[in-house]
Amino acid sequence: MKAQQAMIKKVSANPDASRNSPPVAASVVGVSKRFGKTSVLEKINFDVAEGETLVLLGASGSGKTTILRIIAGLEQPYTGRVILHGKDVTDLPARERGIGAIFQSYALFPKMTVEKNIGYGLRIRRHRRREIRETVNQLLGLVQLEEHRKKYPSQLSGGQQQRVAIARTLAYKPEVLLFDEPFGALDAQTRVRLRREIRALLKKVNVPAIFITHDQEEALELGDRIAVINVGHIEQIGTPYEIYNHPTTEYSATFLGAADLLPGVIKKGRVEIGSALLPVGTDADKFSEGQSVKLVFRPEDVSLSRPEDLSTTNNCLGNGVVQEVSFAGAHERLIIRLDLTETGTCEPSETPFYLTTETPESQSTRPIIATRLKPEANAVRLRVGDRVVIGLTSFTVLPDNAAPPERASSATEISR
Amino acid sequence: MSTNISPMRHVRGFDVARPFSIGMLVIIMMPLVFLPLASIFIFGTSKGLTSFWAALTASEAIFALKLSMATSFWATMFNVIFGLFAAYVLSRYNFWGRNALIVTISLPTAIPTAVAGFALLLLWGPYGTLGRFLAPQGVQIMFTAGAIILANIFVTFPLAFGVIKPVFDTMSRSLEEASATIGATRWQTFWHVTLPSLRGAIVSGALLTFARAVGEFGSTILVSGNLAGRTQTAPLYIFAKFNEGQIEAANAIAIVLALFSFLIFSVLFFARDWLDVE
Repeated sequence: MKAQQAMIKKVSANPDASRNSPPVAASVVGVSKRFGKTSVLEKINFDVAEGETLVLLGASGSGKTTILRIIAGLEQPYTGRVILHGKDVTDLPARERGIGAIFQSYALFPKMTVEKNIGYGLRIRRHRRREIRETVNQLLGLVQLEEHRKKYPSQLSGGQQQRVAIARTLAYKPEVLLFDEPFGALDAQTRVRLRREIRALLKKVNVPAIFITHDQEEALELGDRIAVINVGHIEQIGTPYEIYNHPTTEYSATFLGAADLLPGVIKKGRVEIGSALLPVGTDADKFSEGQSVKLVFRPEDVSLSRPEDLSTTNNCLGNGVVQEVSFAGAHERLIIRLDLTETGTCEPSETPFYLTTETPESQSTRPIIATRLKPEANAVRLRVGDRVVIGLTSFTVLPDNAAPPERASSATEISR
Repeated sequence: MSTNISPMRHVRGFDVARPFSIGMLVIIMMPLVFLPLASIFIFGTSKGLTSFWAALTASEAIFALKLSMATSFWATMFNVIFGLFAAYVLSRYNFWGRNALIVTISLPTAIPTAVAGFALLLLWGPYGTLGRFLAPQGVQIMFTAGAIILANIFVTFPLAFGVIKPVFDTMSRSLEEASATIGATRWQTFWHVTLPSLRGAIVSGALLTFARAVGEFGSTILVSGNLAGRTQTAPLYIFAKFNEGQIEAANAIAIVLALFSFLIFSVLFFARDWLDVE
């Protein structure tokens, strides 16, 4: 209530902000956290707009849960502020923040029926009984649990428990919803169904939400925006489209979706990968001559053609040998050994020749993961041992600075 | 917590081990537990129910039973509330000396009750460490009902705590955190969320404490003075009457105490499912 008034005040004080883009519902400003001497979060900054869903995506131990707990008021930040609807709540206890948290375990009260669980927030706010009953009925309808109202949480399935948990937080009209790995305990099918339901529900109630997950698929489907978290800092924040197609760091490239990585060097405004030279693109001025870089591309961005096929290959990487072909449902997945030394397969004849002598044998080939959709796979059938010309339909060039050494020299695929 | 005896389905036909081991169990328990208990009832009623009833309703006997119940009740009240508090503090907060406190609280289980009674005397008795300052003021705690309560508290100290603490330890913190984010104060959370989950532990802790306190002898005999009609509890009454050769009088009370403890343990055993209701 108080916070709502504060919001109104803020909106009227900043008419420009509300006119141009939806007003900010929650901000995390420069939040750091330490446990003892270990720093778990460093300078976390992000905003969540009114009605928006932000997904914090990261591996376990990346600190994403700590961020959520700091917003909820269950943990105090070392530095930084948490602002909800224009009101600094950093020093307020959890119960005064007006947030709704859905815990991984749902944390339903075991000795209360579904009804009592949902009405809890209103009961402790001493609302009238009739009012509580009405709200509970309405929410039971919203989450479709009318016939389970008298049951105890232990008598419900995981999906039902989760719906109760959501209804329980919606009852007292929270200003921000926080979901901590909400689908972690569910089987794959329920998970997919529930996240669609929740996505629809969130759009209906129009409450800003912050999700936590390590599941990229979930992040892509739920998030209006995604923040990729890696060891306590935000790697990249943006729409699913931006992060998938224009990753700004190697980590976000590999964490969201599968990615191939090839080390290269900047030469005369172009990227040199073995014998191939590729254009850097629009960010050319970001790189200096001789700088080592990473070429990042998605398996579906790899285009394969037979050497005897005379059509020109765009962004040709060079020659390779098919090492593995596997069927992965909607697409075919291939592992190809790219030969970095062999020249002549791509048209440009300016290929330098010194590489053969300078590159050690083990460094001369690299595995590349490629996927092809059915029609393409059927048009050009490839078998293990076939020679192919490898081209790229799209790719990103990233500076190679913070890359961990064990990853730096191999194609990496992180999926599921 | 249902006792599920798995039938050895792979063994066809007659399994000799089964009747043999069950028989063994009963035979071993016979002289050790069953027969002593049975003889209380056999002897107690051997001279007819009238004399049994007369022994039971003797004013000293009634007084002893009432005193036992009253002192045990107050000791139980104190120890359950204190046990709850101690369990909360010791499982929620981590601090220096925490384990030392846990050990100290649990210590009375291992101390002989006579030593406990003696220790209380040395503290509160007329020449005791504290008692010597209280005695001139006319304050005498030893040899009163209060002393019996103190002794009961001392020897049953760890029981309720021991039952409640594990429940606190295993209780998910997220329940309380969820309650806090929903908007509940600490007290509301405790009352609506934490306490209901502890109901079973509190009831069984209380029953255990009470049963133990009612039967307490070693410490009580030292601190109470064993004054018939004033500080004589039921177990002391049994001992006194037995020494005086009044076997029937002792026996009548023994039957009552035996039945009483039987009742408490039946509740503990059969109400388990209710007590642990999730």
